[in-house]
Amino acid sequence: MQPSKQLKPAAHGFRAAARRDPAWVRWLLTSLAVAVVGVLIVIPVTHVFYQALKPGWATYWNNLTADADTRHAIMLTLIVAPSAVVANVLFGVVAAWAIARFRFPGRTLLVSLIDLPFAVSPVVAGLMLLLIFGMQGVLGPWLREHNIQIVFALPGLILATMFVTMPFVVRELLPVMEAIGDEEEVAAVSLGANAWQMFWRVTLPNIKWGLLYGVILCNARAMGEFGAVYVVSGRIERQTYTMPLRVEKLFQDYDNPASFAVASVLTFLALVTLLVKVVLERKTQGELAEVAALRQPGEQV
Amino acid sequence: MSIRIDGVTKQFGNFRALDNVSLNVPQGSLLALLGPSGSGKTTLLRIIAGLETADSGNVFYDEQDVTSRSARDRNVGFVFQHYALFRHMNVFENVAFGLRVRKTPKAEVNRRVEELIGLVRLSGMERRLPSQLSGGQRQRVALARALAIRPQVLLLDEPFGALDAKVRQELRQWLRRLHDEIGMTTVFVTHDQEEAFEVADEVVVMNKGRIEQLGSPREVFEHPANPFVMDFLGHVNVFSGRVQNGKAHWGGVEVAYPDYPHGESRDAAVYVRPHELDIERLEVEGSIRIEVKRVNPAGAVAKVYGVSVDFGSDVHVELTADRYAELDLREGEVVYVAPRRVRVFLPEYSI
Repeated sequence: MQPSKQLKPAAHGFRAAARRDPAWVRWLLTSLAVAVVGVLIVIPVTHVFYQALKPGWATYWNNLTADADTRHAIMLTLIVAPSAVVANVLFGVVAAWAIARFRFPGRTLLVSLIDLPFAVSPVVAGLMLLLIFGMQGVLGPWLREHNIQIVFALPGLILATMFVTMPFVVRELLPVMEAIGDEEEVAAVSLGANAWQMFWRVTLPNIKWGLLYGVILCNARAMGEFGAVYVVSGRIERQTYTMPLRVEKLFQDYDNPASFAVASVLTFLALVTLLVKVVLERKTQGELAEVAALRQPGEQV
Repeated sequence: MSIRIDGVTKQFGNFRALDNVSLNVPQGSLLALLGPSGSGKTTLLRIIAGLETADSGNVFYDEQDVTSRSARDRNVGFVFQHYALFRHMNVFENVAFGLRVRKTPKAEVNRRVEELIGLVRLSGMERRLPSQLSGGQRQRVALARALAIRPQVLLLDEPFGALDAKVRQELRQWLRRLHDEIGMTTVFVTHDQEEAFEVADEVVVMNKGRIEQLGSPREVFEHPANPFVMDFLGHVNVFSGRVQNGKAHWGGVEVAYPDYPHGESRDAAVYVRPHELDIERLEVEGSIRIEVKRVNPAGAVAKVYGVSVDFGSDVHVELTADRYAELDLREGEVVYVAPRRVRVFLPEYSI
């Protein structure tokens, strides 16, 4: 049409080429994607709320609050998940710092090991904890002697959750810390800051959005964890039943409305997480873009 | 405060960044560490600041050994190459940082920060974030931040490297004036000889982890100690010649070279700066013939690129605009080039 079109950069030409695909191809691919997302995600998620609310809001509320077992499960999850998150934030910041700032033997191995919980089945993770801390486990006799209960109790639940959610914070922080570099930290030290002042005044403000993003993901996974917790819980009513375990229990007992009510709370939480995630993702991206912009003028080779 | 560096060596893996370097920086001087990249100049600056530790050797501040003292306790003002401003802090907080971590009383912080922001001419910009400043402004914030802690030494790593030519020129002169006002011992790193010559009292030319020459800008430019310094400080024509009986020969040119009185003839390198060559239409004594390949009359000097008719080597001549107009050179023309001044180096000094 206009001669200027030919001067447009390559990306434009590429998109124009994509637009030339036959209409039926575009339609087919789009509908396929929409259908898969619809069947696997949208319908099940809405169905959870539909099933939970079908008997009415009053019954829904009753299902959530009247049963002492359910109340205990909610309470327990509200203890286990934040504990695991706090532990993983501490570990995550320390590990990301060490990996991003120092070169030490075994560094690559450490990076790979951090991802292990993503690869290992949660059930196996639970079993590993049983084999270490259980009565017949490696540390079993010692723990019994000192009257410390880990598996089939709160510490076991927290440990199992920690294991499964460990990678989230580190994985989010590492790229942020590496992109930001240590220049500002070195500047802080040269201006007389000690390690503590440097961390609180310089490092933390720089990584705060990435850290929060990791926390949100970690928390969502922690609250929803089933497999590992199931194995170490020993399924003791009003002691080791977290929300996901309670959902399964109610479902097994044919109490569908109650099961879906608890499930809807978890699902709601997931949706909130998704929303916060989108916002934070933008913030982190903005942060990284700013780093690049500040270094940009005449970066020397 | 004076600085003394005594036999400092630093190795990064297989790379020797500094090789037994010793240097004295007298109180109140403004010294430039000049060299190509990889010459060790930045490493030396960071060792002075305590941001890097030397493998061996010592650093003294006023005869006090600070080798094992951390950067935090050395109280030096360091300006980083990319400024390393705290992104989430505004100009005021950036400058105040060093005072805040020292738990300075609020009133004192406010007074000192305002004074420094005035000094670097950024009054009214206290609430801006680094991302809202131009390169030159960021540079001045970095400088104010470094000065806030009342350092006894100011160290700058490529302070003007990331700025455009005009701002760079302004900041250079400003840094020079600032130094003359406050008289603080200052060391800066640069790879730009013009910058080093314009700002510094003393220039240290570095190469491959060693100091090649130390002296005033005039000394190192007029009397380069070796071919590297000669070559690094501006353009140079290199010709191969011979030395014998206290004389050096190159083409038809003969110059005195009393450093080599022996009768045995030896190869030598003859260095001539482009501005120390004259072009003549008629043959003069001690000249060589060149064919003019290209002329570039833009700028304060006219640059003439030619090829020697007899040796085939490239010859680069710089003429004043007046002389260029007078000659009215044509490309392809054969003219005579005569050096006003040459420097001869024997090969054992060569790089």
